[in-house]
Amino acid sequence: MSSLKDKIVVITGGNSGIGYATAKAFLAKGAKVLITGRQPGAVQKAVHALGHPAEGFKADQSDMNDIRRLYDYLQGRFGKIDSLFVNAGVAKLAPFETVTEALYDELMNINFKGAYFTIQQLLPLISDGGTITLLSALNAYSGTPNATVLSASKAALNSLGRTLSRELAARKIRVNTVNPGIISTPLLEKAGLPDEARTHLSSITPLGRLGQPEDIASLVTFLASDDASFITGAEYNVDGGLMVHPLIA
Amino acid sequence: MDQLRNKTAVITGGNSGIGYATAADFLAKGAKVLITGRKPEAVQQAATALGGEIDSFIADQGVTTDSQKLAEYVRDRYGKIDILFVNAGVAAFESVADVSEASFDTIMNINLKGAFFTVQHLLPLVNDGGTIILLSSVNAYSGMPGASVYSASKAGLNSLGRTLSRELASRKIRVNIVNPGPVATPIFEKSGIPKEAVNEEQMAKALPIGRIGQPEEIAKLVSFLASDDASFITGAEYNIDGGISVHPLIG
Repeated sequence: MSSLKDKIVVITGGNSGIGYATAKAFLAKGAKVLITGRQPGAVQKAVHALGHPAEGFKADQSDMNDIRRLYDYLQGRFGKIDSLFVNAGVAKLAPFETVTEALYDELMNINFKGAYFTIQQLLPLISDGGTITLLSALNAYSGTPNATVLSASKAALNSLGRTLSRELAARKIRVNTVNPGIISTPLLEKAGLPDEARTHLSSITPLGRLGQPEDIASLVTFLASDDASFITGAEYNVDGGLMVHPLIA
Repeated sequence: MDQLRNKTAVITGGNSGIGYATAADFLAKGAKVLITGRKPEAVQQAATALGGEIDSFIADQGVTTDSQKLAEYVRDRYGKIDILFVNAGVAAFESVADVSEASFDTIMNINLKGAFFTVQHLLPLVNDGGTIILLSSVNAYSGMPGASVYSASKAGLNSLGRTLSRELASRKIRVNIVNPGPVATPIFEKSGIPKEAVNEEQMAKALPIGRIGQPEEIAKLVSFLASDDASFITGAEYNIDGGISVHPLIG
């Protein structure tokens, strides 16, 4: 708890869902938090709801210029940061045959390329001994029909986390990846999920419910804290048991 | 700091190393803790050092009748428990050619069979909504020369954890597995491996993080998984290894 006091945390895509809940959890544990988001109104509203000392910055994490502007802003505002939570992501489903180049680019640009260059550009600001946590998905390891692009983008993200854990170990920067299962977030709605599907998804999760953003937030704050000082290169599922394959059930 | 307040925990093999550190962390977070161990003096000494809401029971977790006796004692003492940390384990390192049947049986009996029946006997005492944590090792997924039996016993343990997570989900019992990398514990000495055969400095170099882990670091993860903060986590296998399991291929 106290190990997050006065730590400076940057969360991409922090104005709703898991990013927002994590911002809230970090603040509750004494950290200073800056969230980013694409829509200025939504970011501002979230910062207001989070309260002091939350801050916001408008950025599209798939836009290189926005990433550079974020770097400039953070450098001027904080100098150094302690934790980066790469959370911004989109989920869109489509049968393989109908995936357009535009859909492919959109998902890969935000989920992977954006994450890649967000880390690359912000890395000089991360203090030695700092942490980077990547928000991935079980899709990184599943074979979910209609999720070809989403899953590949997340598999690539987990790969990046593994590589970075070794590349950045010399600076004692810990890099970990969190793979949530099915979580009740606006992303689910944005993906166009009907209510019956939600009930079905709860029933297939062994614990019998969808996860809440707070379930992910508590793991992300744990990983960013000194309590996790021996954890790097790890990939942690938080999924109510969904990823354990029952073979027949 | 009272994340585990009003929870009752049983830790097997709790008188040293990771088990001991976890007992200390559980106690600090408000839990009542019972530790088990094979050697009465060592267990007694550990319980005295831990203090507070501690109790202890002499049991060899490789002996199923001991697990049964433990369950009877726990039932009389607490009625129900919330947390079971299956931690007792042994290690031995020898080439496949040198493994005797006795050595094979000792390791498998404590690390896997003992864990299996400890869980089976204590399960009726675990509250719905409770949690079971299995202490495994990154060996469960490695191919470390000289660790054929140890690694297989841990792979079996992880498998048990996965199956239990689905079998016990209807009772909302969460089952998770922790895979530590190299940690500074007496497991090698206690398993009869001479101290000079364990080169900690060389081990530290093999870890991306540049050092071996401390028992307290594993304890923090176990406490997290045992707490309500982890209420959506089950069937998970968490490495805590300073990055050693990430394969560099070259380098």
